[in-house]
Amino acid sequence: MISSVAVVMLILPVAGALLSVMLKGRARPAALVTAALSTAAAVWLTVAKYGSVYTKMLWHVPWLRGIVDVPVLGFLVDPLASVMLLVAAPIGFLTVLFSTAYLTDKNREHPVKSEHYGRYYFWLLLFIASMVGLAVSPNFLQFFAFWELTTLCSWALISFYQTETSLRAGFKALLMTHVGSGFFLLAILILFARTSSFDFSALGMLPDGLRAGVFVLLLIAAWAKAAQVPVQTWLPDAMEAPTPISAYLHAAAMVKAGVYLMARTLSGGWGFPAKTVLLMAGMALVTILVALSFYFVQDDLKRLLAYSTIAHLGYVLLGIAVGGLGSTLGLRGAVLHIICHGYSKATLFFCAGVVSYVTGTRSISSLRGLAKTMPLTATAFFVGVLSVTGVPPLACFWSKFMILSGAMRLSGAIGPCIVIFILCETLISFGWMLYIAQKIFLGAPLAAAQVAADPPLAMNATLVILMIACVAAPFVGMPFVQLIGK
Amino acid sequence: MTTAVRNIEASIVILIAGSLVSLLFARWRKLCGWVSFAIVCASSVCTGLAVVRTFAAASDERTILSLPQLGSRLSLRIDPLSAIFLAIVAVIALLSALYSVRYMEHYAHDSVAKFFPILLLCIASMTGVLVCTDFLFFLIFWESMTLTSYFLVTFETENAASQRAGLKYFIITHGATLCMVAAALLVWRTSGSFAFDAIRQSLSALLVAQPLLAHTIIFLFFLGFATKAGVLPMGDWLPDAHPVAPSGMSAILSGALVKLGIYGLLRVFCSFVVAPASLKGWGIVLALAGTGSLFVGTLTALRQTDTKRLMAFHTIGQIGYICLGLGVGTYCLGTHPALATIALAGTILHAINHACFKSCLFLGAGSVLYRTGNRDMDQLGGLAHSMPFTTGTTAIASLSIAGVPPLNGFASKWLIIAACLLTGMRFPLFLLLGLIALFISLATLASFLKVLASVFLGKADESRAVEEVPISMIVPQVTLAALCVLLGIFPQLVLRFVGRAIEGVTAMPLTGVGAPGMWSGLQIIDGSAVGFWSPIAILAALAVLALLSYAIQRAGGAQSRSVPVWYCGEEHTPSTVRYPASSLYLPFKHAFQGIYPSGRIPVPRFPASLRRALDFDRWLYTPSVKAIDRTADRVSRTHVGIPQIYLLWIVIGAIVVTGILLWLRT
Amino acid sequence: MTAWLFKVFLLCLLNVAVALLLAPLCEGLMRKLRAAIHSRIGPPITQPYWDLLKLLGKEDLRSTRGSVYAAMPALTLGSALLLSALIPLAGMRAPLAFAGDLIVVLYVATISGVLIMLVGFASASPYASIGSSREMMMLLSVEPILAVALTVGAFKAKTLTLGGIINWQVQNGPSISMAIGGVAFFLALQAVAGKLPFDIAEADQEIMGGSLVEQSGPRLALFRWAMWVKQLVLALLLVQVFFPWPHFGIPPVDLVTTAVKVLLVLILVAVIDVVNPRLRIDQAMGYFMRVGVSSLAALAFAVIGK
Repeated sequence: MISSVAVVMLILPVAGALLSVMLKGRARPAALVTAALSTAAAVWLTVAKYGSVYTKMLWHVPWLRGIVDVPVLGFLVDPLASVMLLVAAPIGFLTVLFSTAYLTDKNREHPVKSEHYGRYYFWLLLFIASMVGLAVSPNFLQFFAFWELTTLCSWALISFYQTETSLRAGFKALLMTHVGSGFFLLAILILFARTSSFDFSALGMLPDGLRAGVFVLLLIAAWAKAAQVPVQTWLPDAMEAPTPISAYLHAAAMVKAGVYLMARTLSGGWGFPAKTVLLMAGMALVTILVALSFYFVQDDLKRLLAYSTIAHLGYVLLGIAVGGLGSTLGLRGAVLHIICHGYSKATLFFCAGVVSYVTGTRSISSLRGLAKTMPLTATAFFVGVLSVTGVPPLACFWSKFMILSGAMRLSGAIGPCIVIFILCETLISFGWMLYIAQKIFLGAPLAAAQVAADPPLAMNATLVILMIACVAAPFVGMPFVQLIGK
Repeated sequence: MTTAVRNIEASIVILIAGSLVSLLFARWRKLCGWVSFAIVCASSVCTGLAVVRTFAAASDERTILSLPQLGSRLSLRIDPLSAIFLAIVAVIALLSALYSVRYMEHYAHDSVAKFFPILLLCIASMTGVLVCTDFLFFLIFWESMTLTSYFLVTFETENAASQRAGLKYFIITHGATLCMVAAALLVWRTSGSFAFDAIRQSLSALLVAQPLLAHTIIFLFFLGFATKAGVLPMGDWLPDAHPVAPSGMSAILSGALVKLGIYGLLRVFCSFVVAPASLKGWGIVLALAGTGSLFVGTLTALRQTDTKRLMAFHTIGQIGYICLGLGVGTYCLGTHPALATIALAGTILHAINHACFKSCLFLGAGSVLYRTGNRDMDQLGGLAHSMPFTTGTTAIASLSIAGVPPLNGFASKWLIIAACLLTGMRFPLFLLLGLIALFISLATLASFLKVLASVFLGKADESRAVEEVPISMIVPQVTLAALCVLLGIFPQLVLRFVGRAIEGVTAMPLTGVGAPGMWSGLQIIDGSAVGFWSPIAILAALAVLALLSYAIQRAGGAQSRSVPVWYCGEEHTPSTVRYPASSLYLPFKHAFQGIYPSGRIPVPRFPASLRRALDFDRWLYTPSVKAIDRTADRVSRTHVGIPQIYLLWIVIGAIVVTGILLWLRT
Repeated sequence: MTAWLFKVFLLCLLNVAVALLLAPLCEGLMRKLRAAIHSRIGPPITQPYWDLLKLLGKEDLRSTRGSVYAAMPALTLGSALLLSALIPLAGMRAPLAFAGDLIVVLYVATISGVLIMLVGFASASPYASIGSSREMMMLLSVEPILAVALTVGAFKAKTLTLGGIINWQVQNGPSISMAIGGVAFFLALQAVAGKLPFDIAEADQEIMGGSLVEQSGPRLALFRWAMWVKQLVLALLLVQVFFPWPHFGIPPVDLVTTAVKVLLVLILVAVIDVVNPRLRIDQAMGYFMRVGVSSLAALAFAVIGK
């Protein structure tokens, strides 16, 4: 039963993708239904397997027979995977829902004709499938396979509009994340060469020095995927993608794959040398700082959100590193941050999408006073901003707080130093984001704002659901998170 | 069996659910107001019950939610201190909600959907702050309060000033909250729990083991709470934020919300630390901060011509008094319990009194704004005849804030100043602070005489018909003014509860202030009775003497006759014979010019070169991709398409391979 | 209880009667003195009484309506008289000592002034407003000095009651700090009494009597009377707190000595009044600022025990 639901969860979006290609202009209902069913399956799976670790290996890889005789493809549903599923699947569904209204010829920024629907929903649903597959991967091999699939889909989706810049951005994203994947592959090869196993737990069998090496390779891969310094530059450019795609790929799902890899690697408790983990923490702090420094010059709303995403992925990696240094609370906070940030940032991206949908622009300087004509969007944006910047009682406060308290648990002065650093960053980014929110939504309306109105129902519904999620996410995530590292 | 905590839960639930209900009614402005008022009524009744129960019996504690991994529990408890502040919140919220029902007509273009529902949430979070016994959840309620009040401050979304103020408010207070987060985490590091009791224990232990860390923690707490309370210089947000909110909200902000900062300070300094001897320095810091606030705040208020801004500066000033009292109390906590209780009684009493008169003043200013659309004192005048209730209540509140006996402001100021002077007899610095406080209460008087003179008295502008505000706006004002008088004449009414609160937090009975009976007033006891204040006797004497004087006045049997004011026969209009507010006390204002430093803080610019350096695309990826591209290009040039050349390559390759093979052979 | 109340009432009555009835006399004396220095004959000493009587019978011209406005004169005189009941006439204990300490005295002392300012503002005349504004500024400059001076006493006697301070003074004799405090108090008294060089708020030649420009008849009488009462009572306060010697402990004798000292103080005030021209308000404020700061020296002396 469980395994069949899992298979359904994985197969449905693929089927939806194929259907979309066939239905072309009428792809929307099919996409919507398959995404919804897959989400339902994912949610059911997490609830049904709550509190336990469910592993089911189903398939062999034919050409590996003789070297590994056990099945290497299957499902792993543990609390960590559950959290990832709860991010990947529902936000995927919401993205599809939002896209049904966003990707129309009524869109003022990028009118899309119905003949492109097939292509769009194909890649989007394939991405959902690969993300779901990645979340339930039981070993590095499957993880890598889906990892690469997400990269591929992301390339296609970023370049969806097929303009010069979007093609370039898609290629850049593909190139940079793919170079990272090379390191991932290298790590897997070393692992497999030494232990003849792809399992996460095989890391524990490696000798100490090599384990550190593999860890660093994985770390580089994760950096590339999660857009961390020094390979962060593809993410802001990837904002050329349609906004729902940015919301899903570049806030909730794909970039989270990178941090999910690190969470997987470090949550098993195979002690990695403190130096490498400190490197991870240090780079996370550097990333946060670098991303912050780019806030102040952005005029494109989505690019601003992209930099904020980079910083928040830095938070997650920081939390994971804190976990790696021995404070489980930090790891839990980081995992909670995956879900909290996923929903909050998706809210913001969707709002940006709504704004560009009705006004035709994403330029912060040409937007003002939108709250007057689109109160719901304004509310959602404020909720999103306050949530992302960690204002209690909204979602990210909880996860940030857990990361901070995890850091505080570390012995020595490092904990308080991290906390002070993070709090300073929080204040600055909070101030700036609030300032931007005020600038866009409050004030006397400019011409662009006067014609605006709250968008179609599908978009509004998405925003309302996400607003609720911005409050509820920690309460959903907390029960799962507290099982991690036990 | 309901208990106090259950009542409070009910109150919070009613408010949160009520905010949704009120949102549903948002389309009908007036109905939405009345529905919201009904909800606040219900919640205030619950809160009131809780307060009564708390004083009647010891409160229970209830845990609602538990987060074992963080060592945190959402548990609620009401002690007498929180009960007093709960009462303030309930009363002010109730009256402001009633006032706002009609007042919100003033903003015809703004939807009430962004006022009433948020107002209810704000009241709910204020209530939550006061009953939490766990710092994590305290912070959550605390910041919810900031968040909701931010939206109320920026209510006028098209007004640039209100947004600037809101932004400043939220950023500064959020910074303060982050300070408290840091403090809480630092304590948590040793205690592993966020419960108040655990914080108390570990903070006291830290004061012995790691005094530097402990004082850092206390400093962070101080920053956090003092910012919210509006103590200068951290309270710089206050004079911007309080005036721009709708007046009902201004009343809540100044009357109740900033008080929660005081509540926090009281908790930290009187209850978190069991070793009060080490707090002497902090007592001095608090007292100095308080004196600075009352001095600078009040003298700056004197310069204002915008009624609500003037009142906001006075909030800083009056919070300064409260902070001064708290400082004296903290200083004396370990060494002179009697003096400490005098100061703390003054502190809490002034918090209560300030809630009454400041809310009344803001409502009064709101009424003027509602009817005239103006807050500029230079352009107002002579409203006394057209708005008698507003004038009367504002006058009472004005005299009360200035500490004119026998109104309530005097009773608490008397306690604070007496505590200052008596402590000053041991440590003369406080003598000076007490004298400054005394002087500033006169400056407060000057400032509010200015308000009365330029808004309500003087020559009315007959061209503009102004009438009294509707009854639902009068009732809150009159209630608050009546409270000002009642608490002024019978301070012992609340002093008993204040005493319980002090005993609750410091475990010291109220030994410094005696209230022998209902009619006999208060005594300050420092060894023996050294200070007296009996409002009844003073009032009775004043009444008798005023009657006597009136008898004298009437003795001659003089007839009275109405005559016009004599303007030396000049042709005049109301504006030419009006003495504008900005001209009042001009030389005095000149003397204290520049006391409130203003000006933009230079924003550090992020160096462009550093940003270029951080742009990896620019100097790393693009060049390297280009380099690879060029290399590939060069390599591809070998494909020239001429068969002879390919043949040449083959021959050369064959020679090389053969050579290598031969070399390997040997 | 009733007996106690009756006693308090009688004592109050005594204080009030003395203040009320002797205040015009003192004013008359000061006028006579001024005339003498001017080499004029001057009005009879009883002239202020006749002035009051005349005013009480004159028509009351009102430019402002309102019942609160109408009650102002009575309240003003009442609060001035209230102050007199808070200060011991002779001996240690004021009739209302149980109801107010020195902080209360300081606050009550401002009430009558505040009411006069309010009347000025209410009368809608710019002259009155200017007068009230100036009055307020004078009050702001002078009040801190009174407060500092009295606090010196409180500091020395370790009590906030006037009786306690007087008692301490009698017991311990003169001290440098109290002497400085007394001088500062005296300088402030000049302004509180509205005498030259500090009659800036009335400044008849300039703003026609300031706050009271619109007052006439019995109302004016009461305001005048209140000002005279206040002048007398504050002189009494000065004498009692800072110069209570010689103290015999026999009330009638003490009363006489007090009366003589008060007269001396008022004569001094009058002399200063005659020989000085009026200051501008900013000059006066600067002057009192300096006096105020110097009066802190009294506190400093008190702290080191002198």
